[in-house]
Amino acid sequence: MKDINLVIEICGSAGEGTISAGEILSRFMSAQGYEIMSFDSYPAEIRGFGKCVAHTRISSDPIYSPGKLADVLIALNDIHSISQLSALKNKGILIYDSQPARPHEEDKSVLGWVDPGVISYGIPLTMLAQRAAGSARGRNMVGLGAIAAIFHMDKDGFTASIENRYAKKKKIVIDSNVNSFLEGFEWAGKHIEKIDSFSFEGVTMPLQKEKLIINGNQLVARAALDANLKFYAGYPITPATKIMEILSKELPGHGGTLLQTEDEIAAIGAVVGAGFGGIRAMTATSGPGFALMTEFTGLSVMAEVPAVIINSQRGGPSTGIPTKTEQSDFNAALSGGTGDCPRVVLAPTDTFSCYQATVLALYLAEKYQTLVVVLLDFFLSNSIRNIDIPEKPSESLLNANIAPLPEELENYQRYKITETGISPRAIPGTPGGIFFSTGLEHDEYGRPNYSDKGHLKMTEKRYKKYAGVLTEAPIPQISEFEGEMADIGVISWGSSAGAAREAVMLARKEGIKASSFSSMMLSPFPEKELIDFSDKCKKILVPELNYGGQFANFATHIIKRPLERLNFITGRPMASEDILEKMREM
Amino acid sequence: MPSYDHYVILGNGPAGNNAASFLRENDKDAKITIISDENIPFYYKPGLTRYITGDLSASELIVESLPNYREKNIRLRLGQIVDKIDPEQKIVFLRHKEKVHYTKLVIASGSRARVLPSMRGYAQCLKHITTYNEVLEFKDQIQAANDFFIFGGDLVGFKFIKMLGKMGKKVTLLIYPNAFWPFILTHEMQATIVSNLEKRGSEIIVGDDIHTIIEKENAYMVKTVKGMEKKVDMVFSFNGLIPTVEFAKGSGLDIDHGILVNETMQTNLPDIYACGSCAQIYNPVINSYTTSIGWPNAVVQGEVTAMNLLGDHKVIESVGRKYFDLEGVRIKTTWWEDIEESSSI
Repeated sequence: MKDINLVIEICGSAGEGTISAGEILSRFMSAQGYEIMSFDSYPAEIRGFGKCVAHTRISSDPIYSPGKLADVLIALNDIHSISQLSALKNKGILIYDSQPARPHEEDKSVLGWVDPGVISYGIPLTMLAQRAAGSARGRNMVGLGAIAAIFHMDKDGFTASIENRYAKKKKIVIDSNVNSFLEGFEWAGKHIEKIDSFSFEGVTMPLQKEKLIINGNQLVARAALDANLKFYAGYPITPATKIMEILSKELPGHGGTLLQTEDEIAAIGAVVGAGFGGIRAMTATSGPGFALMTEFTGLSVMAEVPAVIINSQRGGPSTGIPTKTEQSDFNAALSGGTGDCPRVVLAPTDTFSCYQATVLALYLAEKYQTLVVVLLDFFLSNSIRNIDIPEKPSESLLNANIAPLPEELENYQRYKITETGISPRAIPGTPGGIFFSTGLEHDEYGRPNYSDKGHLKMTEKRYKKYAGVLTEAPIPQISEFEGEMADIGVISWGSSAGAAREAVMLARKEGIKASSFSSMMLSPFPEKELIDFSDKCKKILVPELNYGGQFANFATHIIKRPLERLNFITGRPMASEDILEKMREM
Repeated sequence: MPSYDHYVILGNGPAGNNAASFLRENDKDAKITIISDENIPFYYKPGLTRYITGDLSASELIVESLPNYREKNIRLRLGQIVDKIDPEQKIVFLRHKEKVHYTKLVIASGSRARVLPSMRGYAQCLKHITTYNEVLEFKDQIQAANDFFIFGGDLVGFKFIKMLGKMGKKVTLLIYPNAFWPFILTHEMQATIVSNLEKRGSEIIVGDDIHTIIEKENAYMVKTVKGMEKKVDMVFSFNGLIPTVEFAKGSGLDIDHGILVNETMQTNLPDIYACGSCAQIYNPVINSYTTSIGWPNAVVQGEVTAMNLLGDHKVIESVGRKYFDLEGVRIKTTWWEDIEESSSI
């Protein structure tokens, strides 16, 4: 069977159905048995203008990154698509509207800017949409129909995906979308003289078990519900809003409560309050909101109250770039706030691990009575994958509070010094379990205590929990070069890990001895594993999506050796192609 | 004073490119755009036959690479077809529905293979060597094929026959005396050519014509009017070139075979010039218009056009090779002198 590995981009203006078309394409390809990874970029403004791009990678093999350049660009909007041409491969395929309603003014046509080598297929998108549905709005479906014909995709399967997408809409909506698709399909089949070599003809993917087509935000919400979340407080912010949106519908049905607060300070305050009350609670935010929460994060650590914050990173600082991806909250997540403030930080490395990270976060927060931050980013939050349905968390992960024994309640010390640093926690209302709780430094009973010895003892207690957390941390993902020492070891984190892994696989095919390392657990960090890995690599490369190399700086202190950095702040996800190029240079 | 002219050049051959380069050298501020329907940077067309044999690689054909255009700040629009021009509004309309505004227009759209009216029904079966894309399409096929049927002649055709001979291919040529259109071979010239080609092993048919061409099982059955039948792998037509000027029809430009220009390469409409093989240039000696062929002529015409666009009054002169060796016959092909006098040497 021939391999399929194709990136299709649809570029249009907000409100032109660009994202919907991308979603339908992804769902159709998933239903056909292909691996998909899709990622949309859109303007920060709500609607009506601005450039939207639906980026979908389709592969018959496992996918680890979205692919830097597109093989196919469907231009629904010429002006926006001109700037997207730089993301089209040299020998890519452009689908453009050959009969726009009005002639383009000079330099406003996408075809006017294509480089030689690009194959251009002109499809009368507007005219066919008008004919099919009486409106130009169906241009997105005409475009899908055209590529379905040109690349010999399953027409009936595609039609079914469109019908499914609009199943809850009126019949006229379904019909106009399907008819537009069919117009594009028939027209392209009849008029396009195919000169590219790409085809799905004769490719049949093996039947697969049912897949979830889902993005990181949806998985976080699903995981939270499965992990017994009972309280969510939040203030909407891109790119985390979707989590709150889903939970607002689902959480009440799971016996929980959702509270939309006036700001992020109130949200984290409510979460800490709920955690104090003994139920699992979390909030989701992005950089600006996370910055506001720092005072309460300190309280969570000091008062040893479980709290979970999902921080989906975007371009920063401040309001920054709301709809672009970045990994620049690493320092803030690990060290933001005041004082010696040990907290757990997890960073999922792909869509699937968003589920694991959320379940683990709620568990660790409850068991270790502390703050847990989960670092997503715009890409992880929004990129859509087709994944196996995750197994629900085991019972042991759902009830993690270590409650005091009856005898311990006789002289209850809420902050009792223990070997693990975990003090048995009485939920308010527990008979005999009355205690003080404050943001002030305190003694074992919770009473304010500012002595140097007391402060040291309690600080050590809070840090002691790290050892326990590490024993429960997911094992780092290490792909070692077998046999000899690797020439290059790539250390990555978060959403860049997939691209790093793919780059290492590609590098090996080129004969480069390469290994990769990534850890979902960032704090506490599996330092020994990283040192062992580093010792087996001649050179180390750290790719990440921030300017200052925040993780690289962190890693340098652990491995105590110089390393190469690869930093981007383009707003786009990390590309395996860029890492590979850097590896070739090293 | 900076110039804000927008020079739009239709055609990416030697005439158009030379005009563009000269304009850029002498007008740093102007906007310059080259539009070509071919999807390849400026390449050396006479090298196509050597490209087929493998003596030249695709990259060696390229005369001017894309970065050079960027460096010169010349906007290169490749693979874009001109539908029509509107001299009143000074707009070039592109087929993909884009308007390009010019202040001065240079038409250097070149020429394409002439298909005889009687052969239009067989156009699908005929191959030509006029563009890179055509050649790219059947380059491998030529390597694999053994039997070739060629009708017509012309300079490129004879070059091709020579090349096939070197490759050990079997060639049948149905010679047309008027294959050099608009030049016509005399009987004496034709006899010399036939004799020389036969000595090289080619089969030559004279005084006959194509009756039918039938495509059958990856081969072609060619039947002549006099009843000869030949089964061959490929059929080529070499019957001269005709200027590519369809887009200019109806624009008000004076057009005969090509676009008529005066000795300074200017058309009958203001701010529109034409040069290269798409133009018919006024020759005061014979008081008529003639078409030129050949790379060197096109280069000079492009440069003269640019000079005149910049305000000069340069009159075109003949350059380049005046004579082509054609199987032992020297043929004068330059347009600038009396055709009848120079038709046999």
